[in-house]
Amino acid sequence: MKARNRSEQEERIRVMRTPRKIDIDLTARCNLRCTYCYFFDNPEVEYQDLPTDDWLRFFGECGRLGVMELTLAGGEPFMRKDLRALIEGVVANRMRFSMLSNGALINEDNAGFIAGTGRCNSIQISIDGSCPEVHDTCRGKGSFESAVRGIQTLQRLSIPVAVRMTIHQHNVNDLANTARFLLEDLGLPSFSTNSAGYLGTCRVNAQDVMLTVEERQFAMEELLSLSEKFNGRISASAGPLAEARAWRDMEKARNEAAPAKPDRGYLTGCGCPTSKIAVRADGVIVPCNMLTHIELGRINQDSLQEVWQSSPALNDLRFRRYIPLTNFEFCSGCPYISYCTGNCPALSFTLTGKVDHPSPDACLRRFLRDGGKIPEKFTLHSENQINIEVIQ
Amino acid sequence: MIELNKNRPIANPIAVLREEFDEWGVLFNPDTADAVGINPVGIAIWKLMDGEHDLEQIQAEIQDQFAEVPEAAGEEISAFINDLDERGFIGYEVESMDQ
Repeated sequence: MKARNRSEQEERIRVMRTPRKIDIDLTARCNLRCTYCYFFDNPEVEYQDLPTDDWLRFFGECGRLGVMELTLAGGEPFMRKDLRALIEGVVANRMRFSMLSNGALINEDNAGFIAGTGRCNSIQISIDGSCPEVHDTCRGKGSFESAVRGIQTLQRLSIPVAVRMTIHQHNVNDLANTARFLLEDLGLPSFSTNSAGYLGTCRVNAQDVMLTVEERQFAMEELLSLSEKFNGRISASAGPLAEARAWRDMEKARNEAAPAKPDRGYLTGCGCPTSKIAVRADGVIVPCNMLTHIELGRINQDSLQEVWQSSPALNDLRFRRYIPLTNFEFCSGCPYISYCTGNCPALSFTLTGKVDHPSPDACLRRFLRDGGKIPEKFTLHSENQINIEVIQ
Repeated sequence: MIELNKNRPIANPIAVLREEFDEWGVLFNPDTADAVGINPVGIAIWKLMDGEHDLEQIQAEIQDQFAEVPEAAGEEISAFINDLDERGFIGYEVESMDQ
């Protein structure tokens, strides 16, 4: 494997004229202090919220450029007293929006307003367990009840709810209960999972929250089983469930000595910079809200289109996909190299100090060396008493 | 009874045209979240649907702007406009309203 030359790369990179989606951190304030939060304790950033008019001016630019969707996050977006005016700005500029929230500040009034816009794709609420004793461990006392109340308010108003469960040491044994609670008791169509990653506050509390190898393996097996039991209504783009699926495929490919898959063997783990971009709470444009140290420009001072099309730092991230894993000592001799994507550049940065590096956290070889095993078979839940062999 | 001037289509002002790669684009209706990919000819037609151009004029403009436009272009343009009409991407001026 070798790096392709730059002109060859430039021919192959196809970037839209403008981003389709933008992740907006509307505020750096939050009513909770979760012990694994990726946002807070970021040494590179000292945030200050922007006034309403600055955001509205920027939303005007987004609308003119044909941006289709804004994801309004934070901090906690419902902390903004001017949230209604900001959402009106999104709507007036012919965009749709999603929100990421802890749910605690959602009420009939603000949810009713959101429902009335007809433009909300979904509101994602974090639920980390089936009961307060589990959920509140990392998110704070009372947070479970208020999150569930928020979800039920959204459900009553027919606003699509997307629940995300972040798996950590204190809820890994509650996965089955949580799945049952979300899918059966609350009647959600689905939910997604992730795990506490070495970012932000989690770096400070890593020993107390991040999964051990044994817990990670248990979570992988349990989630595969639950996903089967609930007919695929549990999803993941990162964390134990995503890893279980990806690593089984990689192991199968290695066993069969399969040829390298397209887009594998290079740093292809992140496709975000070709379709979306992000803005920090202080108005600084960044590639992703987990790569907040890479400052590309500032809203209302720099042209979003120019940043999107011409920023050298953003283009470097896009060209990252042409860096072969064979370039890295870390990957030397790895039997999975032809099937690996190197995974998330943000985690790579926090773990190695380098964006252009595979993420050690997502390394299958390292997981195996640390005593982990790729799930080969799993058991449906005890009430079913059925053993199922996974077809390899 | 409302009578619409079906000969002069008007692009729905709420719809957004995103020009993306190689002159291709996406028409997006933020109210319905409906999106449809369109080719360069489709983009040109979209831009001509201003209520000023009738179907004949749109076809003539397309023949001016693009090389090797087939003879059946008029039918294809009408079919394209009808499709957008059904999806709610265009509207028409009201010609008359009988009580």
